[in-house]
Amino acid sequence: MKATIERATLLRCLSHVQSVVERRNTIPILSNVLIEADSSGMLKIMATDLDLQVVESLSAVSVETAGAITVSAHLLFDIARKLPDGSQVSMETADNRMTVKAGRSRFSLPTLPRDDFPTIVEGDLPTSFELPAKKLAELIDRTRFAISTEETRYYLNGIFLHVAEDEEPVLKAAATDGHRLARFTLPRPEGAEGMPDVIVPRKAVAELRKLLEEALDGNVAIELSASKIRFSMGGEGGVVLTSKLIDGTFPDYSRVIPTGNDKLLKVDPRSLYDGVDRVATIATEKTRAVKMGLDQDRVTLSVSSPDNGTAAEEVPADYSAEGFEIGFNANYLKDILGQIEGDSVELHLADPGAPTLIRQNDKSQALYVLMPMRV
Amino acid sequence: MMPSPPPEPLAPYSPEGEANGLRKIIHVDMDAFFASVEQRDNPALRGKPVAVGGSAGRGVVAAASYEARKFGVRSAMPSVTAKRKCPDLIFCSSRFDVYRSVSQQIREIFHHYTPLVEPLSLDEAYLDVTDDIRGIGSATRIAELIRTDILRETQLTASAGVSYNKFLAKLASDQNKPNGTCIIRPGQGAAFVQSLPIRRFHGVGPRGAEKMAKLGIETGADLATKDREFLRAHFGSFGDYLFRAARGIDLRPVRPHRIRKSLGGERTFREDIHEENALRETLDTIVELVWERIERAEARGKTVTLKLKYTDFQLITRARSLPRMVADKAEFSEIGHVLLNDLLPLPQPIRLMGLTLSNLEGADQAEEEDDSAQLSLL
Repeated sequence: MKATIERATLLRCLSHVQSVVERRNTIPILSNVLIEADSSGMLKIMATDLDLQVVESLSAVSVETAGAITVSAHLLFDIARKLPDGSQVSMETADNRMTVKAGRSRFSLPTLPRDDFPTIVEGDLPTSFELPAKKLAELIDRTRFAISTEETRYYLNGIFLHVAEDEEPVLKAAATDGHRLARFTLPRPEGAEGMPDVIVPRKAVAELRKLLEEALDGNVAIELSASKIRFSMGGEGGVVLTSKLIDGTFPDYSRVIPTGNDKLLKVDPRSLYDGVDRVATIATEKTRAVKMGLDQDRVTLSVSSPDNGTAAEEVPADYSAEGFEIGFNANYLKDILGQIEGDSVELHLADPGAPTLIRQNDKSQALYVLMPMRV
Repeated sequence: MMPSPPPEPLAPYSPEGEANGLRKIIHVDMDAFFASVEQRDNPALRGKPVAVGGSAGRGVVAAASYEARKFGVRSAMPSVTAKRKCPDLIFCSSRFDVYRSVSQQIREIFHHYTPLVEPLSLDEAYLDVTDDIRGIGSATRIAELIRTDILRETQLTASAGVSYNKFLAKLASDQNKPNGTCIIRPGQGAAFVQSLPIRRFHGVGPRGAEKMAKLGIETGADLATKDREFLRAHFGSFGDYLFRAARGIDLRPVRPHRIRKSLGGERTFREDIHEENALRETLDTIVELVWERIERAEARGKTVTLKLKYTDFQLITRARSLPRMVADKAEFSEIGHVLLNDLLPLPQPIRLMGLTLSNLEGADQAEEEDDSAQLSLL
């Protein structure tokens, strides 16, 4: 293989794929990226961790000899990073080595054969639909913070996607860690009818979100089966992310979404966020609880810590139900409030031991459920 | 043989609590799990005595096939002893990645029937099926469906115990092994326990059984005649457990997110030991046994603790922590030996030695959650 490519193009592409590569690998070839150059002048760069693979296509300045090879992802990325701006990088393979040249620099890197590079067998992906990249990015932003990191409940380690027939056909995304739940609903895209319920793993979600950031104007083609999902974005010469899905059953989360919470608090999400953030300064690693005292048209936030003293702040609010006190994990509350756009958020409360429903209003696509803390 | 690790304390004695809100608990236990997986994957091993574990040096048997058990081969037995008992015994090295993936399959089957699954290790778990989420109608039927699903999906057999608490469910799963189910219905628990030899109680090892025999306790019925003070006087806090166990009482909930804080094992000797080589050899054997448990539980931890009990019952522990996780058995063993070396020569012979791995991965987080008052959504 011999090809020349703009340093900026190479660097952008490697910065996309290299985070798929795990830092520590027991299988040496998984530390590598696969570089494939074809005679039409296109280059494909691919990285995998066996559960997730990303393939990006890019135009080379020139391809002298078509071919394919694998080299260390992190080495090549670090080299590309340090090469001078505006330079052209030539990559040439010979005798189990790949020579990388740019300007006056010359590197010779060890390689492993392309045939040893594992690729995910996608199989049939019968469901196929498109979403605007902006919408998909929003879906991820509104839900991913609630994804569980607890490996014993592996089936919560991702975003659950499923279709349903509400008043109209919808596609729903949900994530929960057992303490809070985030759900995002959108009209069912054409082609999504009959799709299997799937759980997209956390790492795939994170990588996808990064890739979307640079393709926000277009559409994303989503193809899936019960075990694999593929996201293609950026059209020709774009990026394709393929991931295995979490093989498990997501709990029936609809039963934890409260429907009869009769105490409605309306408040400016920014003021509440800032207030929680300020009083939580006093909270310790161990007790993240902030107490909310609800009274006629105001919320009193307070934290008291045996070590750090006490803090309190009053936030004006719209509240006319019976006064009471309820505690929340300050970080959880901030995670949710940070997702609310606009100048009003609704908290539907029942009592200090019951789940609270949080949303911007009854039209919002995103809905959150937060379980209180005992205070 | 070394006794099983002491069970966690049962909840306070309260027959009312047990009677109110009867639960439905299933204990599922794979039959000779590791050995059965090897026999499944290698037809040449079927019908033959098979042991999983290291055959060399101080290796111990991690699992024995039923064919091998006929010869008296048991898990946790030194491989040398096993070979003597059964000269045709075939040793296979363990393949934990395979056991883990089968374990994952079984856990998914469990989760189909209930979210309340408490895995004890790769091959056994407690399930609370009081809320019959699939509308199957009876816990016994659920147990049978689970066993059928496991057989269909893994070609392996499991045994199940169905009862109204964890203690009884576990005893029950052992009752009709292999490939069987046993039900202990409300009202039958105490009677069932009384018929059992004392050795079947979780936490009672050979030395413990010897001690009890001297006190005239050979069965659950004998145990039930002793009052709590008597048991406390002779067995300390373990006495409370025995008192409740003899009555079939256990209020511990099935805890799906239980996170272990430590893992270890100990051995009480028939004769006290003092001599340096004997101490080192004993430590090697304990390392083998405990490391096998650690692998089975997939645990990783930073702290190794050596425990010794002298002839005069004085108990000492010495611990060492690494800034990172203990990497492998060799390192675990090395730390154990360093701790022992620092104590040599011992001032008097010892009657017990134990080794524990603690400061386990994930335990900090669990502690934080225990302390916090965060309520749960699911």
